[in-house]
Amino acid sequence: MRYITFALAKGRLARKAMEILEEIGITCEEMKDEKTRKLIFVNEELKLKFFLAKASDVPTYVEYGAADIGIVGRDTLLEEDRKLYEVYDLGIGKCKMCVCGPESAKALLNGHDLIRVASKYPHIAKDYFYNVKHQTVEIIKLNGSVELAPIVGLSEVIVDIVETGATLRENGLQVLEEVCDLSARVVVNQVSMKMESSRIMDIIDKLRIRDEQRKTEVQ
Amino acid sequence: MERKLLHTPEGVRDIYNGECTQKLYIQDKIHNILKLYGYTDIQTPSFEFFDIFNKERGSVASQNMFKLFDREGNTLVLRPDMTPAIARCAAKYFEDETDAVRLCYSGNTFINNSRYQGRLKETTQTGCELIGDSSIEADAEMIAILVESVLSSGLTDFQVEVGHIGYFKGLAMKAGLDSDSEAEMRQIIRNKNIFRVGEIIESENIDRNLGEVFYKLPQLFGDVEVLDRAALLADNETSLAAVDHLKKLYELLKAYGVEKYVTFDLGMLSELDYYTGIVFKAYTYDVGEPIASGGRYDKLIGQFGKDKASVGFCITVDLLQQAMNRQKVESECGTRPRLIVYDDSNVTDAIKLAAFFRKSDVPAVLARSASPDDYDKYEDVLFVDKNLLERYGVQ
Repeated sequence: MRYITFALAKGRLARKAMEILEEIGITCEEMKDEKTRKLIFVNEELKLKFFLAKASDVPTYVEYGAADIGIVGRDTLLEEDRKLYEVYDLGIGKCKMCVCGPESAKALLNGHDLIRVASKYPHIAKDYFYNVKHQTVEIIKLNGSVELAPIVGLSEVIVDIVETGATLRENGLQVLEEVCDLSARVVVNQVSMKMESSRIMDIIDKLRIRDEQRKTEVQ
Repeated sequence: MERKLLHTPEGVRDIYNGECTQKLYIQDKIHNILKLYGYTDIQTPSFEFFDIFNKERGSVASQNMFKLFDREGNTLVLRPDMTPAIARCAAKYFEDETDAVRLCYSGNTFINNSRYQGRLKETTQTGCELIGDSSIEADAEMIAILVESVLSSGLTDFQVEVGHIGYFKGLAMKAGLDSDSEAEMRQIIRNKNIFRVGEIIESENIDRNLGEVFYKLPQLFGDVEVLDRAALLADNETSLAAVDHLKKLYELLKAYGVEKYVTFDLGMLSELDYYTGIVFKAYTYDVGEPIASGGRYDKLIGQFGKDKASVGFCITVDLLQQAMNRQKVESECGTRPRLIVYDDSNVTDAIKLAAFFRKSDVPAVLARSASPDDYDKYEDVLFVDKNLLERYGVQ
């Protein structure tokens, strides 16, 4: 039997995803050791391999088939726009992609003035302004602390992920428009889905059954 | 010395030595299969007018094509794929042909991918098109050729997955989807994005039973049994006809003896609108994308002239070769040459001996000297003397 390889986006998302996978019988003891320096973790019994990667690299690993299955946020998927199967919504890490800025910027979003938009997600920002709002904007790509941009006058608004909105409020910014909902997704390489269909579909089915059970428990 | 001149631009590469031999060997094997099926060769230009490959016809987005201008200012592109060019030829040269036309080709295609994707910008595509035949037998012939072509290269661990656009079309018609939501549904089913299908079913108020089919469509793939499941799910004529078509196709493929390489996926929907019937892709381990794809496109040639039924496929030779190497598939690449080593005293004898070998189709290389390290490149190393000539009966 061949190994099925999982690529997980480093950090909280990976930990939460592993908890869910554990519930459906997919475990990896090696990974729980926090001090380990290993890069690849193996479950020999189930013939599974796991590795952690920077979120934006996960779609790349999966697209080329270096990993069969990836777990990563929808924000990254939209930004990277890779050819892969997006098969399941894990329902964790829920948040929203929003256009944010000071209240005064609200008017600019309804006009036809050329405004500057700072974002870690230039692709998503461009798609939203060009194809949804049909507004011509100048996109400025930043790599972190995007909230700074409107405060120091680098841009009028930003496009960024909003979870609670606390950082925004503390800095006198607010959500002006919602772009889309985000959460963690399970993605699968196109070829793996076909060549290893029974094993991969089995995992997806188990995830779905787990979800349904939780829903009925809530009711 | 200008060492930096040694590099090729990003995305293109030199292919040499064993790799080149192997590539040509694979192409030759495939070509041989195509010839056995009676396909005749066709060559189209490496660059053509941009419009030939644009939107409704091409598989590559405009910004990913290599564009250039001719002296009159027309926009030209290096061909990003082969099929539209063949369709143009068919419309131009075979419009009045009543019998089926069988064409095969092999050539390089050029796609200007974005940077740092680890993808080649120039790849070799080998394929064929069967034009003017709308029968199911034509569909079967295409898939049989594809299986036999891949097998001829030496690769055995692969599968050809077949779908039919009609199944989805029937459902979409029944659900009364407008063209925008049909396009969206198509895209998310293609990406097997099951939960989003659920969301659309709700927002479009599609009725329960039909919604259930859409929901299951991304998972309707697997062995031939999946066709029975698909038939039970659908209750409209177009969808059922599609399933029926695939079942009959499977029977024909059994006659070809290739059915064990064939699986089905009713959720396989091409991004290209011109596919009107079956669509198929060949998958194998160790390459993350299909090594071949094809389908029936009865509406493409019509974009250049009269509509003509046609079906075809193309194999990306570079991907096939990559898969073979990663799976360690050995391919015999013909006989290695014999090395004939000579010195000043026997150069004419050496030339005669080499000529003798070549006449009998045995490759021979002449050299004044050779280092023993290189001996294993050759079938045999021969040092010229009188005995040697006598042994081969060369005067």
